[in-house]
Amino acid sequence: MSAEDTPRAVHGRAPDVFRRGGWVPMRCFDDEEEVDFAIVGTGAGGGTLAARLAEAGFSVVAFDVGAFYRPLEDFASDEREQSKLYWRDERVSGGEHPISLGSNNSGQSVGGSTVHFQMVTLRFRPEWFKARTKLGYGRDWPVGWREMWGYYAKAEAAMAISGPISYPWGPPRGRYPYRAHEVNAAGQVLVRGARAMGVAWAPTPLATISAPRGLAHPCVYRGFCKSGCSTNAKQSVLVTYIPRALKAGAEVRDLAMVGQIETDDAGRATGVVYYRDGRWRRQRARNVVAAGYSIETPRLLLNSATARFPDGLANSSGTVGTHLMVHSNHAVWGEMDEEIRWYKGPPSMAVCEHWNYEDQKDFHGGYAFMSQGPLPVDYAQSFVSNTGVWGMELRRRMANYNRMAGLKIVGETMPQEKNGVTLAEERDRFGLPVARVTFGYCDNDRRLYEHSLRFMRRMLKAAGAGDLFETESTAHLMGGCPMGFKPDDSVTDADGRTWDIDNLWICDGSLFPTAGGVNPSLTIVAMAERIADRIVALAGRGELERRGRRLGALAG
Amino acid sequence: MPEPSRRSLLSPALWGGAAAAAGLALGALWMARRPPRRAREGMAPAARTAHGAAMERHLARRLDEAGTMLSLSVLADSAMEHYRGRFHDPFMYAAPAAAALSLARGGPGSGRRTAHGAAALTGAVGTGFHVYNVVARRESGLTWNSLFYGAPLGAPAALVLAGMAGLAAAQLRVEAREGEPASIAGAPAAPLVALGTALGLLGTTAEVALLHFRGAFQDPWMYVPVTLPPTAALALALTVLRPTPATIAAARRLLQATTAMGLAGAGFHAYGIHRNMGGWANWSQMLLQGPPLPAPPSFTGVALAGLGALDLMESER
Repeated sequence: MSAEDTPRAVHGRAPDVFRRGGWVPMRCFDDEEEVDFAIVGTGAGGGTLAARLAEAGFSVVAFDVGAFYRPLEDFASDEREQSKLYWRDERVSGGEHPISLGSNNSGQSVGGSTVHFQMVTLRFRPEWFKARTKLGYGRDWPVGWREMWGYYAKAEAAMAISGPISYPWGPPRGRYPYRAHEVNAAGQVLVRGARAMGVAWAPTPLATISAPRGLAHPCVYRGFCKSGCSTNAKQSVLVTYIPRALKAGAEVRDLAMVGQIETDDAGRATGVVYYRDGRWRRQRARNVVAAGYSIETPRLLLNSATARFPDGLANSSGTVGTHLMVHSNHAVWGEMDEEIRWYKGPPSMAVCEHWNYEDQKDFHGGYAFMSQGPLPVDYAQSFVSNTGVWGMELRRRMANYNRMAGLKIVGETMPQEKNGVTLAEERDRFGLPVARVTFGYCDNDRRLYEHSLRFMRRMLKAAGAGDLFETESTAHLMGGCPMGFKPDDSVTDADGRTWDIDNLWICDGSLFPTAGGVNPSLTIVAMAERIADRIVALAGRGELERRGRRLGALAG
Repeated sequence: MPEPSRRSLLSPALWGGAAAAAGLALGALWMARRPPRRAREGMAPAARTAHGAAMERHLARRLDEAGTMLSLSVLADSAMEHYRGRFHDPFMYAAPAAAALSLARGGPGSGRRTAHGAAALTGAVGTGFHVYNVVARRESGLTWNSLFYGAPLGAPAALVLAGMAGLAAAQLRVEAREGEPASIAGAPAAPLVALGTALGLLGTTAEVALLHFRGAFQDPWMYVPVTLPPTAALALALTVLRPTPATIAAARRLLQATTAMGLAGAGFHAYGIHRNMGGWANWSQMLLQGPPLPAPPSFTGVALAGLGALDLMESER
């Protein structure tokens, strides 16, 4: 029975991700049993929170519409097959620059997008947490960088990040738990370019282990990271926090689509309505956490509208589903004289964050760029859709696959109110209205990626590449339910607790007030670690049932 | 054989434990071999000379054992690692070839010395190659990344130690035959070998420290080979300064432990290979990807030379 057809985590057991055909015991809750937390989503935000809250002694049920895989037996070395890890359900994408959805911005499996993410785990630049005050753009985060620095360290320890001994940018950070991997030839091209341009570089901190860790094998540089790691070297939430959550007594329900969060007459959340195994069911809960990421979380809140909350839950400010951000993913590619074989190893083994930390530039925000190693289908797709090359010329270019090198940015875009998520007329396989995603770049975004293309072009040339060409795409999602300081311009407070409903929480990338110029996963995990600590602290003070007086006054 | 992830952890643990126990037993047997009795008061001068010669031969034997162990380790390790490097430079054949020659010890007499000399020279030149590989051949120059993953800087030095142990053994055999006191290159043999061993242990430790750091000391046992050998080296150096029964006994125990550790280390590395993807069922790849199986016994080799020096030191007191 395939993992996508029938729920696996049932009858008191869940798949053991470390053993073929293996199982681990799982505590199961009754739908009628009022659990402490119902968490919608098991990715970087929800999976992390589920583990931490269960370990703190709360009763937790975590839902995911995706399958519960055992990577060792369920993941093939085949790009097409592995697209099962992407969110492929229907969505409508529009706006001035409609973004393509699925492969590199939303996942669908227990463990969420971390099952197919490229493992790049960079910290935010400290100033970004005060982007408005210190750098003059976007909005400030209601969390300070020093506090986040501690949670970054926690997240890095939990995911056993393999990183460099010293990192050239930002304030000092502790030693990464594992040592950086050997920088592959594609990364060496970046190194050569960086030396020629006089900018710093570093081996990319990656969530794939360079030495054994428990039952997880060290990385064998298979290169299928973006298609799911079949060796368990990748420290996804599926193989880190999810086993912890199960061990601590959380229940994880796979193939379970939450369609609505229910609220009572008093305006408090009472549980979730979800579809699993052929029927709609209802789980009662004292607290509900939306952790479905920047599209599904707003969609769920909007779709849970009631007479009391006609614009959707937690939306009195009108900011649910607004300020959605992506990372621009512009890239420059070129042919080298020598063989590179960029598919070997994780795709982005060398990184340059120079333009995240340099402020003499003609745009706000920043970008990191990394060496590249797309697999053939991925590469061909991007090459054809960007250049239109076809026929014999395409064949010739693809024959050069082993000599290609590339640099690609993770470029910060500005939070704009008009970019966001609304509900469309169309309905999905569950009968729920699908999300309509609207996106368009602003002038600042354009200046940023044009700057990056100019810089990377010079750098790649300096590294010895010829026949350069450029591609554009986007990656990652941030925002959609921004956290903030006040109930009138944000959805939640710093703890991910919604201003309007004090037992409804958000714990995922949709909280980001700004995007930052680095991949978001590590920050999502770190934030989930923080939110877990905050929930435990609030519970200790008896403030879970009712918001503290000061905040309550603010919210009221 | 199922993949490690399908096997229970118990059997490999037993298997690794058995390998480690076998290593320890072998080491114990080795160390149980007694040196010639100590010279007694009032021995006749002829007997005393004969005893001195016996002690010289004993140290020579220990040095030969040390050289053999080191050469074996270098032969297997360099053959595997250079195979992994596809022997892209023809000089990469030199390391296993020299180690094999040193093992075979050429012919009698001068052939033997030539073999050991060639091994030591190859090791010295090899160090140069490895430094060049790490510092100059990499895009990034000298960084932690190139130190971790470039040619291991300290590895060829094991071949230097192997060659020197062999050369010293040959010298001692000549002296024993001719009734001369034990000396190497004009210096008294016991302290010289002791100091050489101490240096060798420290150098080997440096290499292990770098590579176990690369492995993030993910298993606490990985700290043993970076703490025990340097302690043994210090104790050995102390015996040169103050050769009392207490210092000699302490150094002996630490060296014995190091000898056993080197053999047990191969067992630990075998377990480390099991923990890599596919484990021993995928041995042809994981022998190269996992921890180097033949590397730890080089500690045994170096420590054996030190034990020989202690025996001689004791008899000379």
